[in-house]
Amino acid sequence: MGAGKTTAIESLSEIEVVRTEANNSERHIADKPTTTVALDYGEIVIGGEEKVRLYGIPGQKRFDFMWSILKKRARGMILLVNNDAPDPIAEMLTFLDDFRELYDRGGVVIGVSRADVAAGPTLAEFSEALERANPDMVIPVFTVDPRERDQMENILLALVVNIEMRAALGMTMANAL
Amino acid sequence: MTVEANQVAAEPASVSMGFPVTVGWTHAAMAVYSVLRLNTPVNLKMIVEMHGPLLIDFRHHAFSWSTPLDQFPVDAVHTGLETEPTSADAPPYFELPGQDLDGLLWEMGINSFGGGPAYWLPTGERYRLTRWPNLTQHRHTMQQMQMMAILGNTYVSTSELAKLAGVEESEAQRLVNALSLMRILTRTSAAPATQVVPQTAAAKRQSLFGRLRKRLGR
Repeated sequence: MGAGKTTAIESLSEIEVVRTEANNSERHIADKPTTTVALDYGEIVIGGEEKVRLYGIPGQKRFDFMWSILKKRARGMILLVNNDAPDPIAEMLTFLDDFRELYDRGGVVIGVSRADVAAGPTLAEFSEALERANPDMVIPVFTVDPRERDQMENILLALVVNIEMRAALGMTMANAL
Repeated sequence: MTVEANQVAAEPASVSMGFPVTVGWTHAAMAVYSVLRLNTPVNLKMIVEMHGPLLIDFRHHAFSWSTPLDQFPVDAVHTGLETEPTSADAPPYFELPGQDLDGLLWEMGINSFGGGPAYWLPTGERYRLTRWPNLTQHRHTMQQMQMMAILGNTYVSTSELAKLAGVEESEAQRLVNALSLMRILTRTSAAPATQVVPQTAAAKRQSLFGRLRKRLGR
C-alpha cells in the first residue's frame, strides 16, 4: 500500500482512470487519506479494438479475493513496492509467492517506488533477495516514480518484452502472448 | 604509456597513472574494470577535457561529475587519470550521495571498445544476466531492452544474442561489455546453445512489444 498503483495507471492510461478508492484505515503503513479498495482500471489502445488493459489491485490481504480473479486472467504483473514500507523486501517476496502462477504463465517486473526519498534497500539488495528465494528467476527490478509516464512506459515495455521472450524460449506455460 | 589492468593493480599507491591522452572511453573502462577487480578501497579521478574532473568513490558505488549523463560525451578526450588509495573508514571522496555509479558504467561500457569485445571477456563463452540494470535511469534503446530480455532468461553468446535480437553483432557486444563492466553478467562455456520456439512470420509481426513500442512512439 502506498506504492503508487493508482498514479501509475493514471500515467499510462489513455482513458480517464476508473478509480475505486476509499478512506484508508491503515495509516500506520501508508500515511495517505485514501487507498484502492477494489481496483483501478485504465487502458492503452494499440489499434482497432485491441487494448492493453491495466488493472491496479489493492495490496491488503483482505482484498485477496480480487487477486485470484485477476491473476487467472492477466498476462503479466508490475509489482509496485513502496521502499518506505517497514520491510519492502519481505513484502515483495510475499506478493511474488502469492502471484507465482502469473510469473509462470507470463512475467513479472518489480517497480520500487519512493526509492529517492526513503533510505530503504538498494536495487541490488532487492535482486539478491529475489535470487536467494528463487534462484532460477531473473526478475527485472527498477526504481520508478509512478508519476513519470516515461518511466512507467519503460516498465510496461520491459514486462511485455520479457513475457514474449520467455514464451519464445519455451519458458512459460503459454508460448504466445 | 598504456594503462593495463596489472598496472593499476600493482600501483595503487601512485597518484598519477601517467595516463596517455586518449579519445573515447576504452582506456577509462579498462582502468575502472581493474579497480573494480581489485576490490580494495580506491578512489579514482579522471580528467576529461572540457568536462571537468570525474570522481569515482568505489566504496560508495558513486560518482561525481558536472556533466549530466544524458549529455555523455562519447568522444571525450581524457588527459589524466589518478588513483587515490583510501580506507574503509575514510571520509567519502565527495559529498554523498553523488550519482549511482551504475549509470556511468553503463554509458562507459556501451561507448568503449568500438563494438569489439572488452579485453577481459574471453572468447567462446555464453552470458546471462544476474540482475537487470535499472532501465528507468539509464538511456537505452528498445533493441537493448529486447536483448536484456534474452539475457535475463537464457545463456547466449554475443553472436547468438545478435541473431536472436536481429541486431548487428557490434551492438550486442556493446551491451555485453556494459553489463560485464557493471558486473551483472554471469558467464560459462558449458551452457548449451539456446533453442528458440519457432514462430511464424505472422506471429513475429504480431509481437505486442513491437506494436506497443510503435503506439508509444519508441
